[in-house]
Amino acid sequence: MISMPPSERDLHAYVDHQLSDADRRLVETFLASNAEISEQVRAWQQDAQQLRAALSGALQQPANPELDPALIRQRLKRQSRRHLASAAVLLIAVGIGGISGWQAREMTLVSTQLPMTDALQAYRLIAQQGILPADYKVSDDGDMQHWLDRYFTQANRLPDLAGAGFKPVSGRLLSTEQGPAAMVVYEDSTGHKISFYVRPPGPKNYLLPRGSRSDGELQAEYWSGAGYNYAMVSPSDTPAARMLKQTVQF
Amino acid sequence: MNDIDEQLSEIIPRLRRFAVSLTRNPSSADDLVQASLERALSSWNDKRPDGDLRAWLFSILYRQFLDAHRRSRRYARMLEFFTGRDDAQPSAERTVIAQTTLQAFDQLNTEQRALLLWVSVEGLTYKEVAEILGVPTGTVMSRLSRARQALRELSDGEISRPSLRRLK
Repeated sequence: MISMPPSERDLHAYVDHQLSDADRRLVETFLASNAEISEQVRAWQQDAQQLRAALSGALQQPANPELDPALIRQRLKRQSRRHLASAAVLLIAVGIGGISGWQAREMTLVSTQLPMTDALQAYRLIAQQGILPADYKVSDDGDMQHWLDRYFTQANRLPDLAGAGFKPVSGRLLSTEQGPAAMVVYEDSTGHKISFYVRPPGPKNYLLPRGSRSDGELQAEYWSGAGYNYAMVSPSDTPAARMLKQTVQF
Repeated sequence: MNDIDEQLSEIIPRLRRFAVSLTRNPSSADDLVQASLERALSSWNDKRPDGDLRAWLFSILYRQFLDAHRRSRRYARMLEFFTGRDDAQPSAERTVIAQTTLQAFDQLNTEQRALLLWVSVEGLTYKEVAEILGVPTGTVMSRLSRARQALRELSDGEISRPSLRRLK
């Protein structure tokens, strides 16, 4: 129940039909004996009425077929399919851009549910399909760490896989939803490849416990450390994959 | 046509009207409605509230407009930086005295236009409007009061002018 005399808010609520029946009757009684306020309320009501009338024409626009919900729904479905299909193509197109990095957004959009999906995707595109050229190739031993340090100073050191016959040969900078990423490809004398992938944990600071998972024909070992997330990717069921899986700490 | 589309087909003309009142331009208004419907339909299952569908769609459209408006203001400032001119602000000559309620309405700021349309024209409750704007109900009421006062003054411009011009 509102108190008398009604506040300005009560008067607006009266104009907007937002008072209870009892309150509305109270205000009406009050207005009947207060000419000045009654006049103001009437002016507000009149403005509202005129506005409704003035804007009623805007409801009668001819239909715009572009705004048909069924059509929009169809278009959205088509778009999301094309989105997935074009992800790889987009990566090639912008990959030519060079060292400044390219937008690998789609890589992370494809599946953000499983950890380090972007690392697996990058392995497929760079190490397996050779779609993206390397930004950096090792000419002498030890250079790769130096190259990586230019972008990820505090990050974990590149794992030494020399014991298993793998040496870092090339590097590639990527840009992902979570921030800049780098992938280093290791190769052994027979051309088998392992990748080391590093990127920030993203805005949600999503850090990973040491884990392992396989995805298709690939296997990823992942962990977090020094403020970054890491993954090592290799084809599953190879001696290299078994070696990585048994490595507790990189 | 399913149930959802039936509801939407009743609301779309209202969304278009709201978009025109924000953009003041029918074709960019329809672009805004289209973008809002796309957003609504793509997050339909997880975001749609149980309450008034119309209020939810109004709120999506309003936020999209504000985002686009902010972007274009940034763009205008950049243009101004390069050309040394400011085309985004209305000049004194362009500010004309209101002659109808609609013209008075068009001179209000964005939020005031939205408020009056939601409350006076569409009949949304103060609570629904408070949810759209993310402010307390009391704030909605005081902003509405200012909007109404501004509309009154602008409309009064029209009412009092003829008497001033009356020749003796």
